[in-house]
Amino acid sequence: MTRQTLPVTAVAVTLALLTTGEHAIAQGASELEMRLEAGAARTSGVTALLPTGSMAVTPGLRYASRGFSLETKGSAWLNGQEWRVGDAILSTETRSPTWHGVRGELLAIASRIMASPADVSNQVDAAGRLHFIRERTGVWVGSGIIRPLRIATVANASVYSGGVWTKLRSTTLRATVTNVLFTKFASNDTVSGGGAATACPIVTSAAVAPKPDFGPGASAMTLHTSPSSCRRESRLTDVEGGVRWEHRLLELSFRGGQRFGERVDVTPSSRSWGSAHAAIWLSSQFAAVAAGGSELAQPTRGLPARRFASLGVMLAYWPIPRGTVLVVSPINQVHAFELRPAGVALQRLTAQIGGVERVEIMGDFTDWSPVPLVRRGRDHWELLIPMGQGVHHINLRIDGGKWFAPPGVPSIKDDFSGEVGVLVIKS
Amino acid sequence: MRAITLLAIATSVSFAQDTRGRAADPLGRLDPSTRYAVEMLMDSARMVGLPYGPLESKALEGIAKRASSRDILVAVRRVFRSLRDARTALGPSASADELAAGAGALRVGVVGSELSHLAATRNGNRLTVPLVVLADLVTRGVPRDTASLTIFQLWLHGAADDDFLGLWRSVERDIVSGTDPGVALLNRAREIPAKGPSTAVPPATGVRPEDAKS
Repeated sequence: MTRQTLPVTAVAVTLALLTTGEHAIAQGASELEMRLEAGAARTSGVTALLPTGSMAVTPGLRYASRGFSLETKGSAWLNGQEWRVGDAILSTETRSPTWHGVRGELLAIASRIMASPADVSNQVDAAGRLHFIRERTGVWVGSGIIRPLRIATVANASVYSGGVWTKLRSTTLRATVTNVLFTKFASNDTVSGGGAATACPIVTSAAVAPKPDFGPGASAMTLHTSPSSCRRESRLTDVEGGVRWEHRLLELSFRGGQRFGERVDVTPSSRSWGSAHAAIWLSSQFAAVAAGGSELAQPTRGLPARRFASLGVMLAYWPIPRGTVLVVSPINQVHAFELRPAGVALQRLTAQIGGVERVEIMGDFTDWSPVPLVRRGRDHWELLIPMGQGVHHINLRIDGGKWFAPPGVPSIKDDFSGEVGVLVIKS
Repeated sequence: MRAITLLAIATSVSFAQDTRGRAADPLGRLDPSTRYAVEMLMDSARMVGLPYGPLESKALEGIAKRASSRDILVAVRRVFRSLRDARTALGPSASADELAAGAGALRVGVVGSELSHLAATRNGNRLTVPLVVLADLVTRGVPRDTASLTIFQLWLHGAADDDFLGLWRSVERDIVSGTDPGVALLNRAREIPAKGPSTAVPPATGVRPEDAKS
């Protein structure tokens, strides 16, 4: 079955693309992130009957600590003159302590998509993963189940997946392979499309006994409910690669993939997909975002492949609860620290530090007075600082804590029970 | 983007103004007796031709880190002595940066004769980066003799500043991964190709013969 009434899905998925899952890789301390995205999305490739343009607002909330993260987000979209809740997603991830570089992860996602009050799709995903992490590289394998609700064409699906990621400076590369096995109730649509299954009689919901409880939208959703003889086992294999690159105020990510499976399960238009997302931070809490590309079909939800383009803005807020106790050394929160010439006797200092409110430096070049860095975007901190050639000593401090030598530069004892970083600036 | 650039420049300018303001009396935050002692040391440094900036900087660093007056004075005296010893070891032609780097190495336990070996073979090259790396390696737990001898061998074989910094990054990564610091340095040093003529390596002071052969 191909549902033709889901422009909201395209909007929701498009805006969901704007938030990526890289945080889990670099998670160090507790953090709370609130964001509100708003923008226009344009959808094509679904049906000519649908409005191709929509306005959407997507609020989100994410809490993450060393062993647990919770994220919830939803979207409301403007259809004609009416605002309507489009989707809601709640996801959690629990991580075990790392032992010899290996940790276990449990993921659970509950989601609801509403094309209209009468057309609702719920789904519950659960998965377990074993993640081997070494420095800036990781490999994981996992399996799980997908339980679609209110979708009469698909029974439970099993998922087996594996992936690898690596971080090269500010670039994150990842590749995943996902196998989805599910039982599909063949419909006339799929039979005519693939020809692999025998013809199945269309059975209306009224004739099905006992009638499954699919909720308010059951009449539309159960149109294709079929007898057990029309069941067929389907298998899809998705191979996906992605690149995420962060440079100062700019975040870029690309992903693309190929789906393998029988023709009856994978239409030619949904065999491959690719999308790009860009965000540029205009201030510490405000970014312009753009995304475009194609999204793969979700057979367990009955969603077809689609193309999209969106343009919008993103507001983010990262409050750190007072009294938060860091569970990691401050130096581990600094994911990158760089100094580059920015003019005559001027250096541009940049650092990637997540989940903190205030970053300061001091050194002989500031007469050992603390100078705050300016936040630009998600985790990016920056300062233009006068510094001539020669040997300089520098310290870094996060949220008013202890001074320490920044990572990535040599250091020596400071004679005051601490360490200082040593910078050699050449002419 | 123009707004961001202007903001960054404004921040920088305001920072520079702040720094100039503070520079009027940087030692004003010291108590009078400590300030007097520090200024005496700075005068002594000036008189014997040593850079006195590092002494003032150390005093300000101590103030910023809320060290006691006694600790500040001890630290400043230590910097003065190490600068004096560094010049003795590196020779009168050593630049201020080399003296500062050499003083840092001496303060973590490197001995003067090891610096002298490096200085004797400098051939006009700057010793600043090798000395900074040497001091860091000793700080991270690499045995002093091993660190000195390895840096000296690489220096003799023509290693450049980038080689030393690359070596430092690799060793740091290995140490974080749990490798013994001395072993990490020896392993990583072997990966750096020789660029200059091989010269017999005189063992550094205190180096055991078996270490010198490795």
